[in-house]
Amino acid sequence: MKITQTKSFKIFSDPFLKNNPIFMQMLGICSALAVTVQLKTAFVMGLSLTFVLAFSNLIISLLRNVIPRNIRMIVELSIIATLVIIADEMLRAFLYDISKQLSVFVGLIITNCIVMGRAETFALGNPPGLSFLDGLGNGIGYGTVLVAVAFIRELLGSGRLFGYSVIPRSFYAAGYEDMGFMLLAPAAFIIIGLLVWLQNSIVKD
Amino acid sequence: MSDALKSFLFAAATCLICTLSLTAASTGLKGLQQKNIAIDRQKNILKSVGLLDETVKYTHAEISRQYADNIKCIRVDETGAILTNDQSAANELPVYLYMKSRQIEAYILPIDSQGLWGRILGYLALKNDGATIAGFTVYKHSETPGLGGEIEKQWFRKNFEGKKIVDHEGNFFSVAIAKGNIADTVDKDRRAHYVNGISGATLTGKYLSSGLKNILAAYEPVSLKFRSRQLLNLSGKEKTCPAKEEK
Repeated sequence: MKITQTKSFKIFSDPFLKNNPIFMQMLGICSALAVTVQLKTAFVMGLSLTFVLAFSNLIISLLRNVIPRNIRMIVELSIIATLVIIADEMLRAFLYDISKQLSVFVGLIITNCIVMGRAETFALGNPPGLSFLDGLGNGIGYGTVLVAVAFIRELLGSGRLFGYSVIPRSFYAAGYEDMGFMLLAPAAFIIIGLLVWLQNSIVKD
Repeated sequence: MSDALKSFLFAAATCLICTLSLTAASTGLKGLQQKNIAIDRQKNILKSVGLLDETVKYTHAEISRQYADNIKCIRVDETGAILTNDQSAANELPVYLYMKSRQIEAYILPIDSQGLWGRILGYLALKNDGATIAGFTVYKHSETPGLGGEIEKQWFRKNFEGKKIVDHEGNFFSVAIAKGNIADTVDKDRRAHYVNGISGATLTGKYLSSGLKNILAAYEPVSLKFRSRQLLNLSGKEKTCPAKEEK
């Protein structure tokens, strides 16, 4: 059997396109609007969420048979919150400038529906290995959308990519102007909408 | 074992493990974080007097060197007198000085103002005429991103440059954040004391205005000395700021 046909690979790769958490489930839109003005912040946000999601899925899946059902959600939340705070502390120690730009949004990963959603729907019913892959896949799926949106917004909005100017000066001299609108939240809405359209026309059941 | 007891025990164990891992992360990374914060403060002090290009990224070493070369921190008492090494006063105020060829080019006041959701910390630099603002920076705040959070953005901070804290007769006025655009809301002869407000963040502006006024008023004796040109050189015996002067 080829690796692309295994169950693990399917679980890992499905959330990229076919079942992307942002496109198909419309989860995590709030942070997708806020941190996609620059590629750098979008990238770090995607990475942080992937870290939290993969490990929360793993831990919850390991504990799935011992967590008492009546306090299930509270336990899940404490695990997620702990991971988020650890991610935040790491950013503050190693990527201070970016952590300042992300401000409250790293902390808000706790409320990102993707994390809780995957814990409830997947990690509670599947073994740790698969849950970890599911977390990775969903995190990267979310991160990919963030980076795609940020790519368009940073390029059109400020003529830069990862903070480096990419549009030649001669363009500006010839009358080209950055689209200020791209830096505002509504632009992210429109781009996500267009991407959802694109994704739905590629993936047809 | 009853179900209720089991739940309690499980909850207690979860809490304990979470607490331990958080404590480990927080204490383990504290050193690095504090270094970042210290460098960030130095960066903001340098930025407030325009010594750093905001579009360029500097390494920690570059910032420390620029800071050591250009900035001096001294302490003054309530009357604006500079404290020397052996003196101490009940209410010591730190002042950062931007030294250019042994003369004071600008002085920088630490800003600690109330905001809408929390404290706003930053720096306000004044030129050595004691009346003109050279720059303003914010390094910590808890305002809403996109609304009050705009106070840390360049477009807002830029508006402070060149504003006057004294009126035509030389009386103290402070500087304030207007409600909306100053061209529409402030009389022409008072525009030198106002900066454009942020739409959707009137309260942040209000709190920051009063915070700035309090701080500028507290430092008014120092500003007066600058205005009357009594303060341009240092003797070299000044009491410097301790390494940890702010919480």
